[in-house]
Amino acid sequence: MQGRLSAWLVKHGLSHRSLGFDYQGTETLQIKPQDWYSIAVILYVYGYNYLRSQCAYDVAPGGLLASVYHLTRIEYGVDQPEEVCIKVFVSRKNPRIPSVFWVWKSVDFQERESYDMLGISYENHPRLKRILMPESWIGWPLRKDYIAPNFYEIQDAH
Amino acid sequence: MAAGLNASYMASTNFSMVNFSGESTRKALLMHRKPFTVSAQQADTQDYSLKVEEKEEETVQKEEEKQPKVMKSPRPVEPQTNVKSKNMGIEFGSEWLSSTTRHVRIYAAYIDPETCAFDQTQTDKLTLILDPTDEFVWTEETCNQVYSYFQELIDHYEGADLTEYTLRLIGSDIEHYIRKMLYRGEIQYNMNARVLNFSMGKPRVGFAYNDDQIPEEYL
Repeated sequence: MQGRLSAWLVKHGLSHRSLGFDYQGTETLQIKPQDWYSIAVILYVYGYNYLRSQCAYDVAPGGLLASVYHLTRIEYGVDQPEEVCIKVFVSRKNPRIPSVFWVWKSVDFQERESYDMLGISYENHPRLKRILMPESWIGWPLRKDYIAPNFYEIQDAH
Repeated sequence: MAAGLNASYMASTNFSMVNFSGESTRKALLMHRKPFTVSAQQADTQDYSLKVEEKEEETVQKEEEKQPKVMKSPRPVEPQTNVKSKNMGIEFGSEWLSSTTRHVRIYAAYIDPETCAFDQTQTDKLTLILDPTDEFVWTEETCNQVYSYFQELIDHYEGADLTEYTLRLIGSDIEHYIRKMLYRGEIQYNMNARVLNFSMGKPRVGFAYNDDQIPEEYL
């Protein structure tokens, strides 16, 4: 089953892989990290002018890391805007994904958070540094192989 | 931990204090070769006690490593006179390095024991303030146990970056050590403390834990 955008991308010879539809019927595509920036620009030109959310997760212990982008096409007079979900998978050894900050500026803090939590380094991001954890923190807290340091906290106080 | 990125730490084997400043300071400090005395009062006589330490000669360190059973003797810095409160310069981003939990406050600074002048420019020293809220009853001996453990940790973390994260690792280890001392009955809660909330567990009368009874996560 091929979605609309997937068919459009095939027509224009852009490499991607269809991952089907999510529970709301939103088309989901997988795009390789090296293609992602150029396809992001093409999608922006196509009309996806709004990045609804960006997030990242650790797929499996020892497996890949994923960066997820939800795009929406906002137009006047449309009550069911076109939506698409893009997933970019990257190896945890060298997690580098081109940043789409220069396409959708709203991805700024969300990519920083993904960097902070999972250590995915977004290339060309203007100020990629930790946003939630202290800057001297070591390790990526949301990776499945992360081991929390044995910091002292008051647990027994009455 | 990356060893010695941008001069932030010692490369040589021995130091008591994590060294943040540049090479020249490090060399200057290596000139001090004799062990120094503890520069502050003990906790039971004063509101808080300080231990400030500094570098020592490398050979002394080597000897200590050969006998790991013996408690590491603290190597405090010599007391300084006319200490003025100074902040870090702007070239360090005016950074404030500390790890503060209830019983352990570690600052990368020299704190004068009497005047409490706080010289943050001396980042080659760490100052430990033990139990400022007087939750426990401390004797000179138990204080020294904590101090020597502090010294041991500092020697252990030598070469690590001087960051809040490292200081927090050290501070947490000392807190766990204090809890272990409490569970063994070596220190007691101070019943005259201003806040009696038994932050390390309810007090038990009449017995102390043996080592094998202490929950594993506290060891």
